[in-house]
Amino acid sequence: MSSLPGLATDLVDGVDALFLFSPSGSYYERATDLEDTDVVVVAQENTVGADEFVELPLDFAEVTERVRFGVEGALDNGVVEDGELLACATSVFGDDIDTISRVRADDSAHSGIYDLFVNSRADPSVIRDVLDVVIELGRKGQKGKPVGALFVVGDAGKVMNKSRPLSYNPFEKSHVHVGDPIVNVMLKEFSRLDGAFVITDSGKIASAYRYLEPSAEGVDIPKGLGTRHMAAASITRDTNAVSVVLSESDGLVRAFKGGELVLELDPEAY
Amino acid sequence: MEVSQFVAENYDYILAAVIVALGFVTGVLARRMNERVMEALGVGDAVEGTSVERTARDFGTTTTAFVARISGWVIYGVAIVLAVRVVNPLLATALWVQVTGYLPNVVIALVVLVVGLIAGDKAELAVSERLRGVKLPEIGVIPVAARYSVVFVAALVALSQLGVATTALVVAFAAYLAAGIILTVVATRDLLAAGAAGLYLLLTEPYGIGDTIRVEDMEGFVQEVDVFVTRIEDDGTEYVVPNHLVLRSGVVRVID
Repeated sequence: MSSLPGLATDLVDGVDALFLFSPSGSYYERATDLEDTDVVVVAQENTVGADEFVELPLDFAEVTERVRFGVEGALDNGVVEDGELLACATSVFGDDIDTISRVRADDSAHSGIYDLFVNSRADPSVIRDVLDVVIELGRKGQKGKPVGALFVVGDAGKVMNKSRPLSYNPFEKSHVHVGDPIVNVMLKEFSRLDGAFVITDSGKIASAYRYLEPSAEGVDIPKGLGTRHMAAASITRDTNAVSVVLSESDGLVRAFKGGELVLELDPEAY
Repeated sequence: MEVSQFVAENYDYILAAVIVALGFVTGVLARRMNERVMEALGVGDAVEGTSVERTARDFGTTTTAFVARISGWVIYGVAIVLAVRVVNPLLATALWVQVTGYLPNVVIALVVLVVGLIAGDKAELAVSERLRGVKLPEIGVIPVAARYSVVFVAALVALSQLGVATTALVVAFAAYLAAGIILTVVATRDLLAAGAAGLYLLLTEPYGIGDTIRVEDMEGFVQEVDVFVTRIEDDGTEYVVPNHLVLRSGVVRVID
């Protein structure tokens, strides 16, 4: 004889840690009363004052990305061990926690999404700001038309040495940073230019209009992606930069690190 | 006794009564108007959550009501003193004149103090908001120092308004400020020099990101130039060079 709560119990049976994604204060309080289960909070800000905390740089709309980020972050911080069973409580439809999924922490399924933000040369906030701009550009396009864009973030000196200018650099002698609202408007305007944007570790826009000339040897990206993605992937293999690409044809935002695709987002979902 | 004589004798009392009544009406009107003006200017929202407002709430009133009430009291007081003078000029001795002359100072001092306390609270809030990103427990001293500096200045102004000798306090405050400034200058001398040099470097950009340069014996390509430092990288080594060093010892641009 089975019952509904009994079926749900199977989901959380024998888990080693409970992951709470952006829990409310009272929910977290109730969770900490649990015995023999670690509680890990994954959120943009540690508002509940949790001991084990993984910072979410983006409000991932896709649940799989959100869970993957949280689990990889926890593995990286040593909060959970490889092979442990985890229950991830998160929200899918509303703001409150409404979904629980059972995940096994698996070091070999490392997608590098946590790595992209935390272990890159550039500041995590800079990468987040760039992603924000690109997502907004993908959602609205340039004057309503879809545009493509390529941002290379971090290790700017090396990137500059592995690229050449296509024309005058509009950011010459200007000292602006991504994340300032006015700069985001400028970036959108300049996205009609060909070539890549180069951004330093601290978020300063070093140049626009750069033609990247990395060696594409040994770079393996999914078939069907064009030259912009190829250039983006290659430059991250040759330097310690990460690159964020908005595809003109399918409108998706992709991030590359170490020559590999680590993140794929649909801007429409944000 | 003639009626006219009675009227003449009591005329002063009637006049006094009229003055008191007028004073009362004006006082109430002034109080209401002040309260409304302050509400319209958003004073109520501005003082929300400050210590003055909390104290006022403890006494069952609000800051705006309190300040408005003071203006009412002043007018009542002036009306009563005027009435007393009309009835019996002898009572209006030099002491009374002094007291009435002194009253506005007390009011101004009170208002300055209230404003100072509110401004202090606001200053503390603003500074701690600015420093929120700095995760250093000891940083909490700075907002408190800002708050008490503002309150101290307000108290000084209020005391000097009352005619209390404040020279010693002014000297103490000047010494405190001077110590703060001297300490800051001594402690941040290098930062100031680097910042001044950095401004020049950022404005004229003698070298850009990606250029290969040599400063003293450090050679590499430029990763980043900010106000204080230039980061030069060379094969897994990053030199963080203070900008004043770049200006002082000069920079060599290596063109292949």
